[in-house]
Amino acid sequence: MASFAMAFYKKEDESGLSSYYNNKTTILQEARVFNESPISPRKCRALLTRIVYLLYVGETFSTQEATTLFFGATKLFQHKDAALRQAVYLTIKELATTAENVMMLTSSIQKDMQPNSEVIYRPNAIRALCHIIDPSMAQGVERFFKAAIVDRNPSISSASLISAYHLFPNAKDVVKRWVNEAQEAVNVKSGGYFGSSVTSGGFFGGGSQNAAQTVPSSSNITQYHALGLLYLIRQQDRMAVTKMIQQLGGGKSGSGTTLKNAMALCMLIRYAAKVIEEDPNVQRQMVELLEGWLRHKSDMVNFEAARVICEMKNVTSAQLTKSIAVLQLFLSSPKPVLKFAATRTLAALALTHPSSVAACNVDLENLITDPNRSVATYAITTLLKTGNEASVDRLIKQITGFMSEISDEFKVIIVDAIRSLCLKFPAKHAAMLTFLSGVLRDEGGYDFKRAVVEAIFDMIKFISECKEQALSHLCEFIEDCEFTKLSVRILHLLGIEGPKASQPAKYIRFIYNRVVLENAPVRAAAVASLAKFGLNSSDDTLNQSVSVLLNRCLDDVDDEVRDRAAMYLKVFKKQSLVEPYVKEDSVLSLAALESKLVAYVKDPSASTQAFDVSSIPKISRAQAAAEAARPSSLDTIGVPAAKTTVDGPPPPTAAETQSAYAEQLAAVPSFASYGSVLNSSAKPTQLSESETEYQVSCVKHMFTEHVVFQFNVSNTLPDTVLEQVTVAMSSEEGSGLTQDFILPIPSLTAANSPGIVYVSFTRDEPDDYVTATFPCTLQFVSKEMDPSTGEPEEEGYEDEYQLEEVEVSAGGDYIVPSYASFGAEWDRMKGGPSVTETFGLGASVDGLKAACDSIIEVLNMEPLGGTENPSSTSVHTLQLSGLVTGGGGKVLVRCRMTFSQGVGVTLELGVRAEKQDVCQLVVNAVGG
Amino acid sequence: MSIFTSFFQWISGIFFSKSAEIAIVGLQASGKTSFVNVIGSGQWSEDVVPTVGFIFRKVRKGNVTLKIWDVAGQPKFRSMWERYCHGVDAIVFIVDSADAEKFNTARFELHQLLSQSALGGVPLLVLGNKNDLDGHVPVKDLIRDLQLDKIMDRPVSCYSVSPFALSLLRSLDFSVFHEKPT
Repeated sequence: MASFAMAFYKKEDESGLSSYYNNKTTILQEARVFNESPISPRKCRALLTRIVYLLYVGETFSTQEATTLFFGATKLFQHKDAALRQAVYLTIKELATTAENVMMLTSSIQKDMQPNSEVIYRPNAIRALCHIIDPSMAQGVERFFKAAIVDRNPSISSASLISAYHLFPNAKDVVKRWVNEAQEAVNVKSGGYFGSSVTSGGFFGGGSQNAAQTVPSSSNITQYHALGLLYLIRQQDRMAVTKMIQQLGGGKSGSGTTLKNAMALCMLIRYAAKVIEEDPNVQRQMVELLEGWLRHKSDMVNFEAARVICEMKNVTSAQLTKSIAVLQLFLSSPKPVLKFAATRTLAALALTHPSSVAACNVDLENLITDPNRSVATYAITTLLKTGNEASVDRLIKQITGFMSEISDEFKVIIVDAIRSLCLKFPAKHAAMLTFLSGVLRDEGGYDFKRAVVEAIFDMIKFISECKEQALSHLCEFIEDCEFTKLSVRILHLLGIEGPKASQPAKYIRFIYNRVVLENAPVRAAAVASLAKFGLNSSDDTLNQSVSVLLNRCLDDVDDEVRDRAAMYLKVFKKQSLVEPYVKEDSVLSLAALESKLVAYVKDPSASTQAFDVSSIPKISRAQAAAEAARPSSLDTIGVPAAKTTVDGPPPPTAAETQSAYAEQLAAVPSFASYGSVLNSSAKPTQLSESETEYQVSCVKHMFTEHVVFQFNVSNTLPDTVLEQVTVAMSSEEGSGLTQDFILPIPSLTAANSPGIVYVSFTRDEPDDYVTATFPCTLQFVSKEMDPSTGEPEEEGYEDEYQLEEVEVSAGGDYIVPSYASFGAEWDRMKGGPSVTETFGLGASVDGLKAACDSIIEVLNMEPLGGTENPSSTSVHTLQLSGLVTGGGGKVLVRCRMTFSQGVGVTLELGVRAEKQDVCQLVVNAVGG
Repeated sequence: MSIFTSFFQWISGIFFSKSAEIAIVGLQASGKTSFVNVIGSGQWSEDVVPTVGFIFRKVRKGNVTLKIWDVAGQPKFRSMWERYCHGVDAIVFIVDSADAEKFNTARFELHQLLSQSALGGVPLLVLGNKNDLDGHVPVKDLIRDLQLDKIMDRPVSCYSVSPFALSLLRSLDFSVFHEKPT
């Protein structure tokens, strides 16, 4: 909005005269007229208008400038000209957010608001008040507001309702008491407004001093404002909102409603939608009300009700019939607004209920040729979703006809619709690919081109028949592509898909052209792509020619291009490098890499040695793609963007949690000398029942020479404060861990929960992987709080609370999951330390699946290749991979299991690691 | 001679003009708004709420028109007195003459205000208000306590008044203490 305003202002700027008159500096200069005596109302009004104009087009004033203008404008209170006073109020409302000491005007405005001042600017004064008043003074105007809200004059009533609405966030308790008056304002019969207070000509007269109130309004807009305030006051209380909707809704047919204003009704419908979403139990009653409004005399209300029904979760086809019938009527309306609204709603609905929308197909077909291209676009995308396979060709032909006439935004909608259509009717891929390649050649911005390219990517991924043709379309596209990002993505895809094609050689020309003609990022991508052709092919002549091409790239002017070429040439010469550099299908976990790098850079002593990449866990490409998690485009296609999705950000991954902990720990000075955290538990262990008064969970942090236990303690008792909260951990002698110190919580109330108690231990032998179990007790001094003052009593009593035991064990504390390609790694580590042992898991483990689950949980390692789900009930091999913290290196585990009824699971555990201790640690974890 | 006749004479005596703009300042609860009410409408009201910001009033007495900026006296508003004293024909400073404890603050604020270079030369009228209360300080002491004799760059007058008493005894003549500072 602001940028639009700025653009508008820029345009205005071009005409020199207006830029001179409406220039901030000029206006600040001319603000002297405010101090002139006598005041010239005409001049001052003109200047005020220009100030407001500047603010509206996006100009900003500094606090000082705004304050000067503001106080200048307050001087104008000495003049009684009504039009001037109204202009002053408009300016004050705009300046109040930036200027200082705006409450200076409170008394003056209150004087203008008095019921006995029969002035035209009384509503203006009321509206300005909420912008300048100090919230603590709201109480002082309460009596006045209560009277003004129920004033017979609609503009005064509206003004005070709006003012109350804006006051609400800062003075909730006071405004809440005005609920009865707001209720009265909603219910008031429109006839009541036309009283004796109506004097004609007051509004136009402007100058006349006592011309009372304005033109009478028949819009009943006050109801809309009053409803807004009522909802704001009640929104926390769903029962009250439901009751309000039922009262105001006026029974099943909707005819009994007191609401005459259509906007108020629309608002009520939206509140109803919200209630339905939050509480499915009332859905039936609400839908009855909504269906009543489908027959209201106002189009706006009909549409709003129909839209809400269409957007309800779990709406049934039967419920949809009536609202679709209403929307269908709108489709043939002469008003473009109605047509647009209806097609837009139907387009969104077609995603979930294509068969219900299909009833409108005939009307939608007529709209394809609608002169309003936005309507036509939505009509076509709807038809694409509801149509059958037979109509696809015809529709695509029609779209092609007007593609060049619509804006990029709508082109994207259409391309997305085509994309989902491809996957629905794969048989039609030829026609759709032709369409996509056609529009790819059209003019268009980045977003549009990206949508097309992504649609083609999807086709390549899901429809293998069209792969080669799609690739050649993309090759053609990058020949003349102005978007570096898209070129790079296409080159990457060519590198992956091209070598698998029947004639890989034909793509090489396109790729090498990029090396010759493009900018550095594209050249680098092209080099990587070329190399993949050479390395993935068994054809020696192709290898030869690719290496010739790469040799030429060694002369490139750009470092990155040369480096890549040199690296790939090296790989060509040494075939053993192909596996890790080109065919590797795992990537480093980026969040973990980031936190380790940050720790490395912050630690001055670390700079003497190289950064150890091997300590970063790896994840497979599939996981990485899932983490990057752009919501699958297939689910969201074609839904109007304004619709809110409530599902929030994705939960943080384990690696992100780790980095958060690392930051938290870095803030505690006592741990500064410990170095960086090697590992923290992936999720807190609960040490108490979830319903108890004190809830405790534990997170363990491993350092090179220390272990820190972080206890998150929550106090759920509102009237009690806990002081000196500690956790006593009784460690046995010789466990290998010695307690250093405890950092207690000085004071813990329900409000500042959870607090954190840290207990630090030293690892006596940092190289040993000690495992231990600690019984824990929560200790504290409990004090009652005086409910009236909130002050805790003087004397408390000591108390303690038994917690569950905390364990330091192999899985989760020393070993973290990491991805590896099992077969190759297992063979490579053949020569290293290894242990093989056989266990009987006993009768308690019921079946191979249960055995897999418990082994994965105990060891906290990554299952590979889907081996966590046994395919046979009798024999299974589970493959696990992990990384040992603190430089322990990789560890691989192969669990060969057999299961027979009666004997239970027999397990042969094979461990290969880089250190003998690690093997022992794993075996002990499973055996113990 | 009533206090108001003399008040208006004082104004017109200075300017020989028919209209004047004055700013009324002073600490909170010194009686500024009550004073303005009494000159404006002759009405004495018990429940005057503290002014927030300022109130503007226009008063017509005979052929003299007075524009009055009645500015709030609470500490947070004192920094804004200057804005409303700017460009007026006279500054009226009201002191509660029965509250000697506040004289120090009043003197500080008054001299602070007058030290603003933009207000140089603007005539000052100091009114010792509430002289109907027991224990009020006579004008002489007021001049001393507020160090009015140190103000050299402008005409200064000091009176003792009581708008409350005036509104009760409208018909009676008032004795006015008038001291010219040296």
